[in-house]
Amino acid sequence: MKRLAMLLACAAFALPIAVKAEDAAGTTKKDTYRFVIVPKVVHPWFDKVNNGAKAAAAALKAQTGANIEITYSAPQAADVVQQNQILDSALATRPDGLAVDLLDPSGNRASLEEAQGQKIPLVLFDSVPPEGMNITYIGSDFCEQAKIAARRLVKLLDGKGEVAIMMGVPTAPNHSIRAECHRKVFAENPGIKVVAEGIDNDSIQTAQQQAAAIMQAHPDLKGWVASDASGPTGIGQAIIEAGKQGKVALVGLDNMPEMLDMIRNGVADSSSASQPEMQGYWSVMMLWAQATGAPVPNYIDTGNAFLTKENVGN
Amino acid sequence: MQSNLSVLLRNPLAGVFVVLVVIFVLSSLISPYFLTSYNMTVLARGLAFVGLVTIGQSMLMVLGELDLSLGVNGGLCGVMAGVFMVQLGFNPALALGLAIAFGAFLGLINGLLVTMLRLHSLVLTIGTAGIFGGANLVLTRGVAITGIPTSVQFLGRGDVLGIPVPFVIMLAALFIAGFVMLKTPFGRYMYAIGNNPQAARMLGIKVDRVRLILFVVAGALAGLAGVLMVARLGTAQPSIGDTWVLAPIAASVIGGVATTGGVGSPIGAIFGAGIIAMIENIIVLFGVSPYWQGIVSGAIVVLAISFDAISRRYLRRDLA
Repeated sequence: MKRLAMLLACAAFALPIAVKAEDAAGTTKKDTYRFVIVPKVVHPWFDKVNNGAKAAAAALKAQTGANIEITYSAPQAADVVQQNQILDSALATRPDGLAVDLLDPSGNRASLEEAQGQKIPLVLFDSVPPEGMNITYIGSDFCEQAKIAARRLVKLLDGKGEVAIMMGVPTAPNHSIRAECHRKVFAENPGIKVVAEGIDNDSIQTAQQQAAAIMQAHPDLKGWVASDASGPTGIGQAIIEAGKQGKVALVGLDNMPEMLDMIRNGVADSSSASQPEMQGYWSVMMLWAQATGAPVPNYIDTGNAFLTKENVGN
Repeated sequence: MQSNLSVLLRNPLAGVFVVLVVIFVLSSLISPYFLTSYNMTVLARGLAFVGLVTIGQSMLMVLGELDLSLGVNGGLCGVMAGVFMVQLGFNPALALGLAIAFGAFLGLINGLLVTMLRLHSLVLTIGTAGIFGGANLVLTRGVAITGIPTSVQFLGRGDVLGIPVPFVIMLAALFIAGFVMLKTPFGRYMYAIGNNPQAARMLGIKVDRVRLILFVVAGALAGLAGVLMVARLGTAQPSIGDTWVLAPIAASVIGGVATTGGVGSPIGAIFGAGIIAMIENIIVLFGVSPYWQGIVSGAIVVLAISFDAISRRYLRRDLA
């Protein structure tokens, strides 16, 4: 009887601890996780995101012993229909998490709702969630990134002159936010006149063609800013081909190798850069946290870096 | 027994059908995710939109014509549906009907220019594709039209007994097109014109009228695909139709439709579209690197059409 009482007492003490351990957030454990990364399009900027994702997978394996598989599926064109097709096919593989850079929040909504319906952890990087949807998103302050670039251009031009904006993919929220914030900064400076806006759909070739045409149409153009990573490379090529290096200023965006080369060569003055590796890294960390049942923040700011000839290195 | 097999294998659709089945079975064996009901729904829905354009394109190809503007036609009709519903406040059913009629009108423009001015349809529609695509950008400035009424979204997202609505609509269109082409005098006129338009004209067939009708039908089908895609996305995206230019032509050729006209049917073309849709699906299921996707999908298509050609040649010879 005494032994039974002791057993019951032990059980009574152990039960709350056991229950607490079972209920504790972030304690669900698996030996393998498979996370799918779906960017906007095949593009070197997203390769950096993928590198960051793989780095996070390696870190998690080293720390927890779990195998983390990263599957990278990119649309061949920046087309929301194609991206949804990839998202839907990826959902069919029942991944442990899905990280997406949305081409268009409204257009992607049905696929995201499908993922939530299937209880697959979701994270958005480099983009913001559709209105009313609660999804963790990771990225830098797109508006601030654009304002840094636009303010730099205003400073380079001493507050006066004709400028142009390359808009990227107009339906992509990060691109449209940047374009809008460029406009806001220029509107605050009465000496600056926005004479043209190009759409490059995140294509270097299109950016080059658009920039060349705009510089032909506006021979007094003094400077450029861009809203996507492909834009500055195309603009830089157009500036070189038009022989306008030193006459037309370019403040770029992001840290692609071509962008860094243009800063080193003096084709571009500087670049306001987001940090794609960090976005990939924290996307995987947030997916893993969700897969273990841990609560996650609504937003992670990976910050912006301002790159000039002085700090870009060799 | 051998006679039945002989008849079966002599069917021009046999080769492409066998390829379709082989890819289906292999995908089912290799990927545990392929044969799930969810993935079948994904496949069917994806096939439906490009399938509608493929039906129209394959009918024109049987006639010996090509319409490279069908993709942008679909995109522009989707945008027009958005303009009618959101910006002009039309009743959704009326707006969708008008948008499809607009697609038919764009097809009519192509048809009139081909028949009246004797323009080459391939070259003409490169030009009209530029005009339709440009009109799309003028209307939207590259920005999607949001606020599409939820009442129409059933057409793109809903299902009937588990089958996606767009796929049901595509099957209905395929049935009608197949019936007309294989069972009616109009279908026989199409093959006659595709084989030899001069001879068809001498036989009293109104060649230009048939051409005009088919350009209108193909335009309406592209418009229908665009409208259904708007219902699927819940927004009128200016990029709708960007991938519907070459895929329907490739699907038709894989499905046995000759680019020179007079041979093939929309049924074979849909088998071809099914092969392309499966390739796109399994590339994601297998986690193929995006940089290898072009090579992998291209190689499968080359293998598929090679198998089709070789099997036709040898099986027919053996069974002769």
